[in-house]
Amino acid sequence: MTAGPYGALLDSVRGVRWHAARRVSGATLGAHPSKLRGNSSEFSEFRPYRQGDDPRRVDWRLLARSDRAYVRLTTDRATLRTAILVDASASMAFPRPELTKWVRAREIAVALAAVAHAEADPVGLTISGAPAFTLAPRARRSVIVEMIRALDGTTPGGSAALAPLVTGARAPRVVVITDLLGDLDDIIAAATLRIAAGGEVIVVHLVASEELDPPNEALLAVDPEQPRMRRTLDGAGRREYQRAFAAWLDDTSTAFRSARVRYVRAETSEPAAHLVRRLAGETGVRGR
Amino acid sequence: MTFLVPWALVVGALGMAGVVVLHLVARQRPAAYLLPTTRFIPDRRTLVSRITTRPRDLLLLLLRVLLLASAAAAFARPVLSPSRAPRARVLLLDRSADVANAADAIAHARAVVADGVPTSLIAFDSGAVLVGDATIALDSLARDTARAERAGSLSAALVAARRAGASLAVTADSVELVVVSPLAARTLDAATDSVRARWPGRIGIVRLSARTDSDATPMLERLAGADEPLAPALAGMRVGIGATAIRLRRTALDARDSALARGGGAVVRWDSASAMAVRAEALAMGDDVLVAMLGRGAPLARGRTIARWSDGAAAVVEEPMGAGCIRTVAVGLPLAGDLPLRPTFQRIVRGVMSSCGASTLFAPADEAALGRLRGGSALASAAVMAGDDRRPSPIATWLLGLALACAFTELAVRARSTPEFA
Repeated sequence: MTAGPYGALLDSVRGVRWHAARRVSGATLGAHPSKLRGNSSEFSEFRPYRQGDDPRRVDWRLLARSDRAYVRLTTDRATLRTAILVDASASMAFPRPELTKWVRAREIAVALAAVAHAEADPVGLTISGAPAFTLAPRARRSVIVEMIRALDGTTPGGSAALAPLVTGARAPRVVVITDLLGDLDDIIAAATLRIAAGGEVIVVHLVASEELDPPNEALLAVDPEQPRMRRTLDGAGRREYQRAFAAWLDDTSTAFRSARVRYVRAETSEPAAHLVRRLAGETGVRGR
Repeated sequence: MTFLVPWALVVGALGMAGVVVLHLVARQRPAAYLLPTTRFIPDRRTLVSRITTRPRDLLLLLLRVLLLASAAAAFARPVLSPSRAPRARVLLLDRSADVANAADAIAHARAVVADGVPTSLIAFDSGAVLVGDATIALDSLARDTARAERAGSLSAALVAARRAGASLAVTADSVELVVVSPLAARTLDAATDSVRARWPGRIGIVRLSARTDSDATPMLERLAGADEPLAPALAGMRVGIGATAIRLRRTALDARDSALARGGGAVVRWDSASAMAVRAEALAMGDDVLVAMLGRGAPLARGRTIARWSDGAAAVVEEPMGAGCIRTVAVGLPLAGDLPLRPTFQRIVRGVMSSCGASTLFAPADEAALGRLRGGSALASAAVMAGDDRRPSPIATWLLGLALACAFTELAVRARSTPEFA
């Protein structure tokens, strides 16, 4: 399954388990604890037989000993469809010419998809743009390669909104990889709705190191998504910029957490595999 | 080249230095840098100051420096000075009726200009005309044989000389003024001293012989008595018996007077003043006007009027008789007072007591007047002569035009330039 420059990345995330944040409702056998109790081999508890229960689940030995009918309950495991949304707006094409932010976004997307796919979860991809590219969640083996091909073939540009894609994602688990420099409030609102509907939203906030610590010399900063916005970045302005940017990062983190959205800040200096392990390790409902 | 307002060059130089410094320490728009988080930068000025070792926008700098240089040079009022000679000369040549021999006058003038000093010639009688370069002008004047009839006016000549001197001062360090004239008393007038004061140097004088220096000088038949009011005026005249003598008669004329007149003499009939009542009168004769207590005789009806009263009535008339004339004077003189000592009265008396046909008598200017006319010993300095008469060169206009052209070009270049983006 390894492909091109992503081979080392995929090797490094092999074996990582990415559990769902809550029990899933899927019926397909997977790796995540299911809301359903069934007849798997993983015993959970006994419950008195009620009319309508399947007679095959009655524990006959217990009936013989106690003369009471009990059904045997087991814990089911199911798959979790996962949609990965990648922000491909112009602000992701930074810094030039390395485009480190966009490269890191692709790596995180591929690594997360690989981890989910390893647990037999159907994985889909949506790349923002006009029009947006969408790969429906699938569990087949070639899905990772298709995602890699789609991501490598995309050049960031424009300023398409992400919130509609969050709302329209056809998966209970949605991962949004973005720098949040677009429709932030709409994204929070859309994520809040999905969580209220029982879904799970994870926001990976990508921040470039050059955004945190811009070059020291005087610059005429130009917003790539609003070219008419031009401001001079010099000594005093640089300090004010850093204060304002740090405050915005804190406010953004607080806003997502208040909305019970999983928020993970990722700097471009952090390797993608490290971020994926951090993200997967912090989540999950351990199976009972 | 010199400049009338040199401090304008200093201001221009300071301005040019300032422009160069501004181009070195220009508030430049820095290189553009695509930064997605631009919105967090405070929105303030869009320019920063940078000190560079090489000025930017060399074309604009060149235009601005050229604009300032040409404007400063124009406002400094440049004067293009040709090569200067150490000395120049203005020659005033008397062409009036007082000059006895015009050819002799031209010969004297040639002697003056023989030293090769650039000389402007002004010919004057009652008016003055700048003839031009003396070497050439004297030749044309020598061919003019017409007899002059007008009296000379040195004041008019000095005014013209002052103007010509200012022109010569542009090309010479000092200017000399020479007057070639008999310098009759009537050549000088009341304005001569004040006009002379405007020439800031000495005046050389070459005296010519006057027309009346020869045997035309009138000769009185008999000297007036000591108690005669006319005595002071006639004191310098020759006395003798001759066919052209001038006879003064206080009583009626007789046959001997007629005979004298027919023979070429002049008989002046001037009644005794005691017979007339005196009152304030004005008597005009030629350029002389006498205001005094005078008696007015019976009106004179015939003859050529030589002098008039202020109301136009004839005061002295002359009737020709044979080769001579009889002159009748209707002016009564007071028996007391200083009238006989007044110069104006004396000139009028000498005019009345002149030969037939002449209205005035040549009288040389006195030495005091000539002394004032000569003045000091130094030549007129060109710097003093030029004064405010120096005019800026027309190049100033062209320089202003160049400055305007630079200003418009600078505007066009600035409008076409676009902000720098890396």
